[in-house]
Order: sequence, then structure tokens, then C-alpha cells
Amino acid sequence: MQKKKQKIVAMLLAGGQGSRLNSLTKNLAKPAVPFGGKYRIIDFPLSNCTNSGIDTVGVLTQYQPLILNSYIGIGSAWDLDRKDGGVTVLPPYTASTEMKWYTGTASAIFQNLNYLQQYDPEYVLILSGDHIYKMNYELMLDYHIQKGADATVSVVQVPWEEANRFGILNTDNNHQVVEFDEKPKEPKSNLASMGIYIFNWKVLEAYLLMDEQNPNSSHDFGKDILPKMLQDQKDLFAYPFKGYWKDVGTVQSLWEANMDLLDDNNELDLFDQSWRIYSVNPNQPPQYISRDAIITNSLVNEGCTIEGNVIRTVVFQGVSIGKDSVIKDSVIMPDAIIEKGCYIENAIVSSGVKITAGSVIRPKEEGEILLVSDEMLEEMITN
Amino acid sequence: MNKHLLGVIDATTHIEDLEELTSHRSVAAIPFGGRYRLIDFILSNMVNSGIQSVAIFPKFQYRSLMDHLGSGKNWDLNRKRDGLFFFPSPRLDKPIFGINSFEHFAENMDFLTRSTQEYCLISNANTIFNMDLSPLLDWHIDSNCDITEVQKNGRSINLFLVKTSLLLDLIHTRKETGYLNMKDVVTDLNSPYRVCHYSYEGYALTVDSISTYYAASMELLNREIWEKLFLQERPILTKVKDEPPTRYTSSAVVFNSMIANGAQIEGTVENSIIARGVHIAKGAVVKNSIIMQKTVIQENCVLEHAILDKDVKIEQGTTIIGTEQVPKILRKGSIVKGECVSS
Repeated sequence: MQKKKQKIVAMLLAGGQGSRLNSLTKNLAKPAVPFGGKYRIIDFPLSNCTNSGIDTVGVLTQYQPLILNSYIGIGSAWDLDRKDGGVTVLPPYTASTEMKWYTGTASAIFQNLNYLQQYDPEYVLILSGDHIYKMNYELMLDYHIQKGADATVSVVQVPWEEANRFGILNTDNNHQVVEFDEKPKEPKSNLASMGIYIFNWKVLEAYLLMDEQNPNSSHDFGKDILPKMLQDQKDLFAYPFKGYWKDVGTVQSLWEANMDLLDDNNELDLFDQSWRIYSVNPNQPPQYISRDAIITNSLVNEGCTIEGNVIRTVVFQGVSIGKDSVIKDSVIMPDAIIEKGCYIENAIVSSGVKITAGSVIRPKEEGEILLVSDEMLEEMITN
Repeated sequence: MNKHLLGVIDATTHIEDLEELTSHRSVAAIPFGGRYRLIDFILSNMVNSGIQSVAIFPKFQYRSLMDHLGSGKNWDLNRKRDGLFFFPSPRLDKPIFGINSFEHFAENMDFLTRSTQEYCLISNANTIFNMDLSPLLDWHIDSNCDITEVQKNGRSINLFLVKTSLLLDLIHTRKETGYLNMKDVVTDLNSPYRVCHYSYEGYALTVDSISTYYAASMELLNREIWEKLFLQERPILTKVKDEPPTRYTSSAVVFNSMIANGAQIEGTVENSIIARGVHIAKGAVVKNSIIMQKTVIQENCVLEHAILDKDVKIEQGTTIIGTEQVPKILRKGSIVKGECVSS
């Protein structure tokens, strides 16, 4: 059935496992990983969509989708429960002739061409559910239109010494892309792709159909689709993004991104009313800070009971921290219970974990971040 | 569950002594506990007890109450069948006699006659409690009562259970009987009805003055009491806001306080209730106070025994001192500089 035509439709790739997050993604997809005291990673791209005026969003899920799917629901938390458009969860499916998993970013979109076709949009925005950032996609679309581009890739400047870890774009003075360099040994530029693309729909459709026929393709935007477009002399532009952007793909970077929020001058201002980050609100009572508690330089969410000492820590909803416990430089995920007299430093404590009275948890090596899960605690006891 | 119980909330209550908090809102909509409004307690109790149809009868200044309740979504009352109904009085000049005025109900008879629920629970909107109402209905039926009045320590908390058909009779015959409300019926020793009293053992406090409001707020800081009010299996539901977690800076000193999301604390907070989106700047000291939504307290202010309504701005270096008996109240939107001391 043909739906009301949309100017732009966003496709959010949320099927990633995020294996480098270890046990955090054992039962849930990376975009559902908790962040910042009350959010999940996917709240950032979804809030960016709604704040940018994009109200038609397909969310492509594959790995461990239960928590993610029920979290997204009908999208009302992000005001994406709409009569026309709104949010649609797009899992892999069996067709009449075959069944296929999403094997690459492009194959995921290819398998949902019918979703895009029903809206017949002018533009398609491709997003990933792996990053923490605030971005006005409308400005990127204006840029894309103004440049007369076939495709626009959002880029961010990364430190030169790290450029070899990213997909690097080499551009001319007019920001037109001249070369893709996937993880270059000797980078010629430090403009890294953020995995955010705007395509003209007809161009994207043609290239996805073409790519599907190519048996040698890995069906990936960065490795196959965009280089092929460049080869065919399509107009590709880099959109320079300025602001906070962080891939939270590892335990270390997830911890760092949480700590960044505690910096007084952090760029990702969660208190900015003009660009709110929406999330599913747990509806719990205000946090209770007891007579014995000391809290400094921390973020604490509702439903918490704090009786201990919390220093430079991000505390999610429903956590209780007992008397005489000291929590330092850590992230405590929802509903964790920390009993009396514990000492925790440089750790991420997973959701619902119970830490018994008097436990001392800190990494062996300086600079290391300890991920505390039930399995890890069991191992600690047996050793 | 409880599809045979209809909820009726009388939000017409006007209380002279709460004037300073109700000049622009109804008693039912008075903010409480950092993120709630008084009506949240009875409404959540009804919903948590399985009631799926709730009618609200407001009268005065109900804009903020309507804004708070919206479609009823936050209480899961945005239903295709039943759900939340709002019946403001079509007339403002007519005096409303006390709680549960039959006159007001009479203007919306269609709703009551059309409702399929056999029993009706009628309540005020200003009692703070967390009560499972299902046992009450069983008790009412088993005890063969016509009207059950819920009491706490022998005093009515203005919560009544009747058969819907009896309520309709009482409304129809109000001119002949002279009964203006449920209270009149239960207090009439000669009434032809079997009136029972159900004793509620949990925590309950009816807010009917500034001093009960202040006392109830301060009682929230007592762990035994908030543990009775905020139960995981029967949560008090309210309008959710997309506020970030509370931010405590390195200069923050906080103890024995209840603090809601979106607050930014840089100063000292002691024995206080801080609502969503409040900002307490460096060097400011807030003690034994209630600070409502989005109020800003600038650097080096001192507040003791104060109730600051929403959107108040206390400019740098201001001192506001009230007493436990007479807390200093600042109305919504006030901007204060200098000293403010209550008697």
C-alpha cells in the first residue's frame, strides 16, 4: 500500500552485537545499552530524528532484539507514534523464496526496500545506533540539497594519531569526496566518517539493487556502496560536523563517555531544553539522599536511595547504595544494589547486580575499567 | 479486574488555608514530593487496584489539572472503552457545598447512568496514601453495607464506596432528602442506609492547610513513611517529564533530602524536597524547605522553612527565613531579592 509521501525517511541500523562491550551486550543489542544515568544509546539518534523534524524512522534490528523492541514500542517516548510514518521496527524476515539475515549495512537496507518504496521519499538518511551525539539532521539535509549531492557523508575531525582506526574521507576544497580510505596506514586526512549518510532515494535504490547482484560485495555502505558511487563519478560530499560525538563500542569508551557528562564544560549538554534527549521514563519516586550520604560531581537518576559516598559517578534509576560505601569514578546501571561498606572504583556495575557488604572492587591495572557482572562476581568468589 | 468498580474523584475542594498555593490551580493539582501532584495518589490507587474508568469533577482553576492529566496516558487511562473522563462544572457562580457535591454530579448524570460498573468509589483528591482498594470492595460486599466510609484512626478520609444505583438515587432525591454530598448521608444518624466504617491501617494524610502540607512533605524524608508510599508493586504514577538525571557538582553538599530529576545542585541542601528542574547555585543553603519545579536559587542565598512555588527566582544573596509553624511561602513566578522573614 502506498503511504503518504515523505520528504525524508531515516533508517536506523540497530542490529549490532557490540561484542567488545562483553557481557553488557550478552542479552541485549548494543543500541539498548544503558548510558548517562537514564538513557539507552538509541535514545540519541531517535531524539535527534524527532528534534530534526524527521518523523518516519525504520529501526533495523537483528541481534538480541527483545529488550530493544519492547523499549522502542510504538515510539511514543520520542513522539514517534504517528498516524503517518512514525517508528517501524524492521527485523529480518523470510521471503517466499529464501530467508536471509542482514549480512551488512547495505544488505539490511536492501531487504527493506519495500518499506522505503511505500513512502517514496526524496531522501534517505542512514543512521547507526552506536554513537552518542546531538545532531540536527535537517541542517545536513539542507547542505546535501545545496551541494546538489547524490550522497552526503557526515564527517568529524579525529586526532591524527587515531585516524588509522576510522574510515577516512579525502576531500577537495569544496568538501567533495575524492577518495575513501578505510583504516589507512598513512592517513591523508583526519575526517572520519560517522556512519551517517544522506542519499537521494532513487540513486540509493539503484545502487542497492546493483550491489545485491555483485557476488564479491560485502554489502556494506562504507566498503562497497560509497566507493562504487565514487567510481561512477557520482557527486559525494562530506558534511563537517562539529560537536560531541563518541563511539561507545568498548567498555573503556562507554565509561569515558559517561565520565564526559560529569565535566562542567561538557559539550553534550543534557540540560539543554532546546534539544532534549527523550527516553522511556521509568516513573519512579525522587531519589532519597540520606543523612549519611555524600554526593559530589555525579549524576543520579530517580528511584535511587543513596546512603553512601558517591564521587564522580553516574547512577541509573532504582539503584541503592548502602551506608559507608564509597563509589568513585564509576557507572552504576539500573537497579544495582550496593550494600554497606563497599569500595568501588573505576568500574561499570551492570544492571541488577547485587554487591554484598564489604566488597572491594577495583581494577588491578591503573587506567583499566572493570565491568562488574553476575558472572564476574561468581568467578571472583570461586577464585 | 475490578471492571465493576467506577472511580469518581471530586476535585472541587476549595480550601481557604491553601490559598497561597491555589491562586492559579486547584487543590488537586498542588505539587507534592518533588514530582507529584496531590491527585496522583488517589488516581494511582484506583488504577493500581484495577479501576479502568475514572471520572474527575473539577471546579476552580482546573487548567493546570487538565494539563497534568492530559489523555490519562501516564495512568494507562487512555483507553478505547472507559478510561479518564473530565467533567468541569458548567457554572462557576453556584456555590459548591463541601466535598462530593451531588449538584455537580447531577449536571453529568448521563455519564453515571451510562456507566456499566456496579459499584462506585467516590474520593477527594487531597489525601496522600497508597492503598489497595480491592479488599475494600470485598469487605463492603461481605459486610452487606449500603455505604462504606474509609477511616484512618477513626477519622474520615473522604473515601466512600456505594452501589452506583444508590448513588444515582441519592443524586435524584437530593432536593427531598437535603443531602448535598456523601458526608451528609453518612453523618445523618437517621438515614435509612446501612453505613459501615472501614478502618485503613496504612499511612494516610489529608492535606487541608499549609501546615499539613508542610508536615506531610517533611514526613516524606522519613524512610519508614516513604517506603510505605512508594511501593514498587503499586507505584504512584504521575506525568513524566524528559528531564536528565540530577546533576551534583563538586561543590554540592546534600543530606536527608528528596531530589527529583533535572535538578542541578551546586549548593547545600538539607532536609528538603527539591522538584524537577530546580537549580540551586553555589554557596546557596536550603534547609527544611520545599522547592517546586524550575525554581532558581542563585548564589549565596539562605533559605530556611520556606515553600517556593514553581518558577520562582531568588536572586543572589537573598535570605528567606520562615518557621516550622509558619513556613514562608513564595507564590508561583515571584522574583525575590533581599530579605524575607516570616513571623
